[in-house]
Amino acid sequence: MVDDVLVIGGGVAGIQASIDLAGRGLKVYLVERFPSIGGKMAQLDKTFPTGDCSICILAPKMMECFSHENIDVLTHAEVKGVSGNAGDFRVKILKKPRYVDEEKCTGCGDCVSACPYINLPDEFDMALRSRGNIFIPFLQAVPRVVMVDREHCVKCGNCQVICDAGAIDLYQKPEEIEIHVGAIIVACGFDSFDPSGIKEYGYGRYKNVITALEYERLVCASGPTGGHLDRPSDKKTPNSIAFIQCVGSRDVNHNPYCSSVCCMHATKEAILAKEHYPSMENYIFYTDMRAFGKGFQEYVDRAKNEYEVRYIRSKPGEITEDKETKNPVIWYDDTVTRQVKRLEVGLVVLCTALVPSKGIKELADVLGVELDKNRFFKIADPLYAPLDSSREGILVCGYCQGPKDIPEAVTQAKGAAARAAEVLACLGA
Amino acid sequence: MSLENIVNETKAYYCLECGKCTGSCPISRVNKGYSPRLTVEKALLGFDKELLADGGIWSCMTCNLCKDRCPSNVDYTKFIRYARAEALKTGYTGNCTHGGVLSSLMRIMGNPNLKQDRLGWVSDNLKISEKGDILYFTGCLPYFETLFKDIGVNSLDIARSTVKILNRIGIKPVVMPDERCCGHDLFWTGDLENFEKIAKLNVGLIRGTGAKKVIFSCPECYRTFKQDYSEYVDMDFELVHISEFLAEKIDEGKIDFGSLEEDVTYQDPCRLGRHLGVYDPPRKVISSIQGIGLIEMEHSRERSICCGTSTWTNCDRFSEQIQKERLKEAKAAADTLITACPKCQIHLSCAMKSKTPIDEVKIKDFSVLVASAMGLGDDP
Amino acid sequence: MDPKIVAFCCNWCSYAGADLAGVSRMQYPPNVRIIKVMCSGRVEPSFILRAFEVGIDGVLITGCHIGDCHYVSGNLRAEDRVKMAKELMKTLGLEEQRLRLEWISASEGEKFASVIKEFVEDLKSVGPNPLGKGEASCP
Repeated sequence: MVDDVLVIGGGVAGIQASIDLAGRGLKVYLVERFPSIGGKMAQLDKTFPTGDCSICILAPKMMECFSHENIDVLTHAEVKGVSGNAGDFRVKILKKPRYVDEEKCTGCGDCVSACPYINLPDEFDMALRSRGNIFIPFLQAVPRVVMVDREHCVKCGNCQVICDAGAIDLYQKPEEIEIHVGAIIVACGFDSFDPSGIKEYGYGRYKNVITALEYERLVCASGPTGGHLDRPSDKKTPNSIAFIQCVGSRDVNHNPYCSSVCCMHATKEAILAKEHYPSMENYIFYTDMRAFGKGFQEYVDRAKNEYEVRYIRSKPGEITEDKETKNPVIWYDDTVTRQVKRLEVGLVVLCTALVPSKGIKELADVLGVELDKNRFFKIADPLYAPLDSSREGILVCGYCQGPKDIPEAVTQAKGAAARAAEVLACLGA
Repeated sequence: MSLENIVNETKAYYCLECGKCTGSCPISRVNKGYSPRLTVEKALLGFDKELLADGGIWSCMTCNLCKDRCPSNVDYTKFIRYARAEALKTGYTGNCTHGGVLSSLMRIMGNPNLKQDRLGWVSDNLKISEKGDILYFTGCLPYFETLFKDIGVNSLDIARSTVKILNRIGIKPVVMPDERCCGHDLFWTGDLENFEKIAKLNVGLIRGTGAKKVIFSCPECYRTFKQDYSEYVDMDFELVHISEFLAEKIDEGKIDFGSLEEDVTYQDPCRLGRHLGVYDPPRKVISSIQGIGLIEMEHSRERSICCGTSTWTNCDRFSEQIQKERLKEAKAAADTLITACPKCQIHLSCAMKSKTPIDEVKIKDFSVLVASAMGLGDDP
Repeated sequence: MDPKIVAFCCNWCSYAGADLAGVSRMQYPPNVRIIKVMCSGRVEPSFILRAFEVGIDGVLITGCHIGDCHYVSGNLRAEDRVKMAKELMKTLGLEEQRLRLEWISASEGEKFASVIKEFVEDLKSVGPNPLGKGEASCP
């Protein structure tokens, strides 16, 4: 019987759950697949409906979590096996090599500029920027430690030569560790649906059709363009932007559920565009406006009245491209005026479905828990045990158990932390 | 079938009224009065009489573009088919093109007493047989030849080329002198009584030849046999489109192509593409020809645009607009357009002859192209 | 066998010719139903096939003599269309004799009567339309 807790997923939910548990005096292991914690929230520019800078409110939490004496943060690591029962889980964790000694690296970045190969797509910036073979995951990464992409590295050794700390070890081996915990909290989040399968919208074929997450990076001050809305085709600012809702969600051919946040994040993104460029024309194509949360409807009303965002009730049929200007052209049925119209804009942002993160099936198998029909984690009871998975001692919170926004994910994380403590107390730990 | 049943059968009650169908529809784009969304809405709101009297239900090309994109999986194509059958019972019908001669021909072919003489086109150099394993189903080509010669379409070239290709790979296909039209257009315009007669006659005739595999050069015949006959009659033979058949033979190394220095583009017939999902075999065959450049149009594969009209119904100025747009797309890609459907060839060639001329695009059938690439093009 | 014939007569020459046969009390078999059209060129192949579809044994198209067409060239068009219809009939396996094109002027009442007589005899030798279902009726 142990009272340590494993948290899987280092996004805002996992971070919050870890901090809460650690605050209670429990030992926490936080495992994150990406080389930095932060999750999707770190990629966002602002949050709705308050318009707070996302990384500004998240970064202190990331630091608090990482530096907490009760929390052991394992980045670039994956859970490979779980055995035992509630109160007594044995967990195998694979620490993938980052080819850098985390203890020695100071994050100075000298090696980053020494790397001669700088043409790899940067994952964090949605491939809108290129990075080298040795890189810091992103500006505010925690831990601020470099990592080597060995798949592409030619082992020239430039980085090793320049590193004063002697932190780089290109022959680092993967390491498997075993930990012993009493409860597990899963908060592995979501991924953005790849819309290239929806051929009619031309993602991948037309440069100026991008996803909402790409847009977040474009408009972000610490993003690849420094917050300038440079559209991909000509690196110029478009005059107008159209946001298309429900791309791959509320669509039985892809994901039947509502992703829950897109009506609001599109509204936010349109407002941001208008704030950056007062002459920007914004259009939001929606299926049904779902502004259900606290302050949401008021936010939408402000977008309409103060920011002149035009809401059009329609799911566009097709996007084509003007061959010369590379402007996307939207063909849609305006369901209010009952007319088929054509709208040429400078940039199209597809508000794609948010889907369970890649590898959730494997993780569910490792954990021995069930998924629901949309591949989110199944919860024991939606009313009375909304944070329990189908296996005792394993709790699920955040987007990985169903669509929700940041405050709700944080609420759940806090609930899951309390629930984990409760489970351990009941077991007599 | 009552309108309520049609709604249930096609799951139209799942409609979100999001407008993706109408926003996708090539007709709605040119004809402001036509909207798949509003058509479904009529049924959902119980405006039965208005729906059945609506000429719009006959304008639909049943090309499946909206069906494939519908986020609620409403089968609009099926919806239209059922609504037409119901409208026909009520006494409404679409505007038959060509004075209704083709519908008449199809109904005549449902008559079991008819003894056709279809093989006038089989010249001495073509080897066919009466019985055998492999049968070539020519479809309406002999009739099309008569009706559309004046717009410069020689539909029987497709049949001749297909037989030549098969002969070259050592096959003497069965070609039936009294084969019937497949009934595709009757099926899609709601005349199920005559369709059933035709289906039974055709399957009976094919059984009589002992064929184990039936090859089609017309995607409409192919779809009809593959998906629609089974409701009415049992079949015990394999069905294959010539493009699929040839793609397989290329894999087996049984086809030798000469070279053909030409850039072409390919029109996906909606029956072959979206209805049956056959996108790659024709492309594979075309690009196996040495020297040929296959350049895709702006709208290709899943996004391909229909040739403007179908089932010989409601061909109007909107059809012409769609056809001309398509031809412009083709011209932007290449000077020659290849299609695997005799009707695409007829419709697009007709648009080319219209009063307001457009840039010349050569329109060639798939089999004709393949035959000339195999050096079989010039002999009569 | 009593053949059923549909005759399409043009408004300007042939219908008047048929009228003359009538008012002159010329005798001809009662097997024909006349449909007046403004011009023989109006008769589309679809009209002809439709007649055969519903079981008619013979179709007669009559118009003004070449050069006399009220619409200058309508009868030339009729010739083309009959040619096309015959080609379709050949493929369908219907005998060519079932379709007849004649030029009958307003003064040729006698010719009208003799054409009908001849056509009925011809059709008797050809036999009934295989598509006939007894009484002709529209589906």
